[in-house]
Amino acid sequence: MIDDTARVIQAQHGSEEAFTELVETYQSHVYNLCYRMLGEPEAAEDAAQETFLRAFQHLHRYDPRRPFATWLLSIAAHYCIDRIRRRKFSFISLDQEEEHDAPELPDAEAAKPEDEAVRREQQEQMQGAIRKLDSVDRAAIVLRYWHDCSEAEIAETLNLTVSAVKSRLHRARRELAGYWPTEERQPSRGRRPHESPAF
Amino acid sequence: MNHRPFEDWLLEDRPLSGREQRELQVHLHSCPSCAAIAESNLALHSAHLTPAPTGFADRFNQRLARWRRRQRWYQVLGTLVLVIGGLTVLYTVAGTVVRQALQSPADWITAATVYLVFAVESLRVLNEVGRILLRDLRGFVSPLSWMVVSLGGVGLALAWAVSVRRLVRARQGV
Repeated sequence: MIDDTARVIQAQHGSEEAFTELVETYQSHVYNLCYRMLGEPEAAEDAAQETFLRAFQHLHRYDPRRPFATWLLSIAAHYCIDRIRRRKFSFISLDQEEEHDAPELPDAEAAKPEDEAVRREQQEQMQGAIRKLDSVDRAAIVLRYWHDCSEAEIAETLNLTVSAVKSRLHRARRELAGYWPTEERQPSRGRRPHESPAF
Repeated sequence: MNHRPFEDWLLEDRPLSGREQRELQVHLHSCPSCAAIAESNLALHSAHLTPAPTGFADRFNQRLARWRRRQRWYQVLGTLVLVIGGLTVLYTVAGTVVRQALQSPADWITAATVYLVFAVESLRVLNEVGRILLRDLRGFVSPLSWMVVSLGGVGLALAWAVSVRRLVRARQGV
């Protein structure tokens, strides 16, 4: 089994096969980040492919002491943040963005169809809510909860300090709760799987 | 307990002790704003990765191939522009000189000979001066001093090389 560093070194020496293996390994991570950031499958695929292309072009600048995933996600996050900022200048409103449906693929691990339906509904609500966040806060939230990154990793990925990440996550959680549908504001009922530690 | 600590616990999203959890549960029954944070935190914690669409890597390879073709085309175009530009400049600058030289070959052969003789003579004079200086200085400066000066020179050269290397080292990251 060849590890990432060996593949990166092979790719740095011109092996396209090694780079393709890296693409196959990280495609879902990069695609998911782009999808959560941009909210549209087509834009997400384009952004994810652009991320890999930029990684390929700048492979000689990759520091092997850093995890490859962090480096890739950093490129993807900055690309998506730029794209969102450009979109704002193009005067595309958030309402227009929300018109795009966010398709959720079925979860193979889901035990019951009704649980899966609830989960999908919840995820769609969450996708709608995170689209209203500032682009950097959005990236921080996606990296924290979809990619299980630590605050230090998020700081490294987004070129922020750890305290700035903490403050952005804090603010983003407050905003998300504000955007959460009012009918959902029911008192919590017992502990659920994947429950927040703050319960 | 008032509302503030519960909200802070939820917004920090940190692990709670058993006692804190029980207190929070009681508070959530009476506080809709904390319940909203708790619900959205729950949704965040049950987030799943959305897999990349089928054929993503193949489409990337096609995009990479297109990029390579475009790069090759830019290289060819750049080379053509450089060659044509260089030839134009050469023709403009050197054309006049070449034309004049072709019109009167005797003049430029004479000028070239004078330059050649001047260069050879200058080298000979410099060589002679250096030899005399070395012969006379040898009597004034001890071998130890020569060694110290030489080592100092080598040290300075090394320091210069290291500084240049550090300055030009490629920056990491994109």
